[in-house]
Amino acid sequence: MTEATMPEPPADDAIFGGRLPALRDALAQLLASIESIRHELRETRGEDPVEHCLGRIKTAGSLREKCLRKGVEPTAEAAFRHITDIVGVRVVCAFLDDVYLVRDRIAALPGMVIEEETDYIRHVKPNGYRSYHMVVSLDGGPRAEVQLRTISMDTWAALEHQIKYKRDLKGDLELITSELKRCADELASTDLSMQTIRNMISAGEEAQQ
Amino acid sequence: MRLLVADDTRDLNRALTALLERSGYEVVSAFDGQEAVDRVLGESFDGIILDIMMPRKDGLSALRELRERGIETPVLLLTAKSQVDDRVRGLDAGADDYLPKPFALKELLARVRAMTKRRADSGPSELRFGDIRLDLGSSELSAENSVRLSVKELELLRLLMMNADRPLGPAFILGQVWGEDGQTGPDVLELYLSYLRSKLDSVASDVRIEGSDEEGWCLRSRPALGPDPDKA
Repeated sequence: MTEATMPEPPADDAIFGGRLPALRDALAQLLASIESIRHELRETRGEDPVEHCLGRIKTAGSLREKCLRKGVEPTAEAAFRHITDIVGVRVVCAFLDDVYLVRDRIAALPGMVIEEETDYIRHVKPNGYRSYHMVVSLDGGPRAEVQLRTISMDTWAALEHQIKYKRDLKGDLELITSELKRCADELASTDLSMQTIRNMISAGEEAQQ
Repeated sequence: MRLLVADDTRDLNRALTALLERSGYEVVSAFDGQEAVDRVLGESFDGIILDIMMPRKDGLSALRELRERGIETPVLLLTAKSQVDDRVRGLDAGADDYLPKPFALKELLARVRAMTKRRADSGPSELRFGDIRLDLGSSELSAENSVRLSVKELELLRLLMMNADRPLGPAFILGQVWGEDGQTGPDVLELYLSYLRSKLDSVASDVRIEGSDEEGWCLRSRPALGPDPDKA
């Protein structure tokens, strides 16, 4: 089990509108809450369903670039209103059902408000992307985007991200995207099979008790 | 359609080639077994006509070699002998059909038509039932989303979809999908039905797999019109 990690916070910049310390606190609090969920699950279920948990605050450069991409004014006001993942947490689980288990535990945290959530696992994006997204706010603090996914989904997303942001991509783009989609669908199938096997094992154990 | 005609008798080869070309086929000629093998491995054909008695490599050897190399192209064997043993050896070597010489030209044409039709007609490339679509070429199951199925999952779902109007018993399913070798235990069907259920659910389909080992298994399409009456 790995502890949650948080890289060096970004350098301050006008685009943060002086809120950087508040963002750091919000991220730390959220990560601590998730740690407590993992601890509780380890105690009650005997295992921690979370493979790893990473948190980060978007760098100023990345935030400005996203504003540009989304047609949002590059001011602190506009950025904080329209961009939901300035504070980001990614929770990766080994099994599909655990993604939903952790989602439910996060939703049940005291002081937790879910502003919006989208299930891209039940409603897969056309390119094959799968994850569970929640935009949350803990104790009235700045909002954060929590992404929950399986290891397979995380592996796929890492590759897709590389391809999306590579400027001088060589090769047939259409072939690459269709092959990536195929991989996404194959990985999803494997996730489902492993969950089914795990269910079968649990059912067998319960029957024996 | 492209055919290979392999016969060492030049007159016959030329005559067959002309006949087949007149009937609309594209024809390539070979005059011995080795040339026949080299041609088949170098290009693609929809059908092969092989004489048994040829120099360098005879028709049966050529045929065996092609089958060993995984070439599934239909083969019609021609021979001057009409002995049963030759017919048996030819069929066992992987021939699809056999025509002893002398033969009527129209019978040759009919057997070529039948042989190449079987190949082209290997069934639909896509199946549909309820809200699901199963692409047999890419193993993709789709409804709102899509997933890729493993080989056995694909064969199992294909069997269920093609027989959606009647429940299928476990012995039949195991035989069709896993073969008759009996190496699979009884739990494999239950596991694979579970796999399919989870995949149908993941693509947000309302298709269900229902039944039991006693009654047999089949697919049911249950559109969400209201509470399921059977589960009340």
